[in-house]
Amino acid sequence: MTGKIAIVGAGPSGCFLAQALLKAAPDLEVDLIDALPVPYGLVRYGVAADHQGTKAVTRQFARVFERQGARFFGNLCIGRDISLDDLRAAYDVVVLAAGMSVDNRLGVPGGDLEGVYGAGRITRALYEHPDAEALPDLGSHPLIVGNGNVAIDLLRLLAKQPEELAGSDLGPGPSDWLARSGIETITVTGRSPAARAKFDPVMIKELAKLGGVSIRVIGAGEAPDDEAAKRLDALAVIDGHGDGPRKIDFRFELTPAEVLGAAGKVTGMRFSTAAGDAQHIACSSVLTAIGFGPADDLPREALIAAAADREAGALAPGLYATGWFRRGPRGTIPDNRADAQALAGRILAEISASPAKPGRGLFDGRPGIVDYDGWCRIDAAETAAPSQGRCRIKIPTRTGMTMAAIEGATSR
Amino acid sequence: MKISILYGTETGNAEMLAEDIQAELDAAHDVTCDNLADTDPTALDPTRFYLLVCSTYGDGELPASAQPFAEAIDKAGPDLSNVHFAIFGLGDSEYHETFNGGPKRLAELMIARGARQIGDRIAHDASGPDLAEDIAFPWAEQVLAEAEERLGAPA
Repeated sequence: MTGKIAIVGAGPSGCFLAQALLKAAPDLEVDLIDALPVPYGLVRYGVAADHQGTKAVTRQFARVFERQGARFFGNLCIGRDISLDDLRAAYDVVVLAAGMSVDNRLGVPGGDLEGVYGAGRITRALYEHPDAEALPDLGSHPLIVGNGNVAIDLLRLLAKQPEELAGSDLGPGPSDWLARSGIETITVTGRSPAARAKFDPVMIKELAKLGGVSIRVIGAGEAPDDEAAKRLDALAVIDGHGDGPRKIDFRFELTPAEVLGAAGKVTGMRFSTAAGDAQHIACSSVLTAIGFGPADDLPREALIAAAADREAGALAPGLYATGWFRRGPRGTIPDNRADAQALAGRILAEISASPAKPGRGLFDGRPGIVDYDGWCRIDAAETAAPSQGRCRIKIPTRTGMTMAAIEGATSR
Repeated sequence: MKISILYGTETGNAEMLAEDIQAELDAAHDVTCDNLADTDPTALDPTRFYLLVCSTYGDGELPASAQPFAEAIDKAGPDLSNVHFAIFGLGDSEYHETFNGGPKRLAELMIARGARQIGDRIAHDASGPDLAEDIAFPWAEQVLAEAEERLGAPA
């Protein structure tokens, strides 16, 4: 089978899709296009710096390029540098796998005060995404709104002592920021009861390894079923853990009502409880981990609304979507693998190749594109001499990355 | 020797390792490689040596592709007393409490139906310094040598 397929987004969903397509039909031309000069999306910029085992999935993705013949076109933003219409005209099939990266907003009074930050903004800065804003001062008592795995990742990183980051790829700037944070207390609040919290129990149990904390779980309540019992069991494991100086409080069934401030800065939050009462919690900053929305490069809402078969990821003839871009910001790496494998079957059944289409020829002569060899040079530069107990020191800027991608080429 | 590699995977890492082991053994043996999800536990062949490659997911549970196989064992209760297997685990010691819970469960299920395990259940740690194949290839060689002794002359 032949055909030209462009996948927009070289994160886990796009890579798993390319893997499945090329496994079934090795003669396809599959191109992974990413707005960043580097591939792997949230595996690089969303999976926590201290979860290197999870990042090992990139060994599979490297093979998609090295053995299965997929091509990488990095530093190329579809919707800005090249329009989606032009891309669709050049390829037999276009798949949108661009994920979701924009923090959902709290949407309560005071939500725009200085000191309210989205979790994505903080984690992008921690993981040195080239477009990240600077890391802000969180004060002595950040409050995390949200009970998903993103909230727990953020909590764990903020709670760790410097030596607990050994073996990670957290960069020198973010490591220094964490070491000097001055955080004394972290409160984590969820809207749901603990029984329905979204975190994976194993993420909670991992907190029992933290050395510098003392953890309290307040009002976890009862478990109505076995699934819920696993969450409550995990919380029971960490309740009372440690006698370290950094205090961590978990609280549940608190619906955000207002961010309180003085002189334009956060001083606390008002919640409403399950019983409808108001509860105030003082804090120095508010970190919202309440999901993500799409970036504005592509008209995601309109495309999804007009989808021919949204459940299957079929948007329009020759246009598909997978991963978070299709489903919304829920589900882990294996969920996106299953999604991509199912979509690969559909594409293979529907593709009709027009040999006249230029495919990757569309990008000929366009400056600044980073190919897979360029990424390998960036990767080599980042892992050549990691210092201070790190497995990698990321190049934090777009310019630095594109330079590293080229420099190796000219010095060879 | 006739070898069947069976993998239980969730992210694809165990599948990749299973394929690597197949490629490594292919020259000298008759080797098949299949997903546990496509394997019927009542149809295991006593003349083959089974190499199981299995990850762990969630809270020490079996990975998704091993679950139908485990359910079929529970349901059918097959007699596996002539089946020989060895098992290799993929895990992540970041989650130390549940490290390699999946392969442990899978081995227990097989043994409970009479299957004979050859060699120790060893594991790769995704958070450790080694590549999975650097641990798995020597392991495969060792369990194959043991299996040839137990199952008779190499075919």
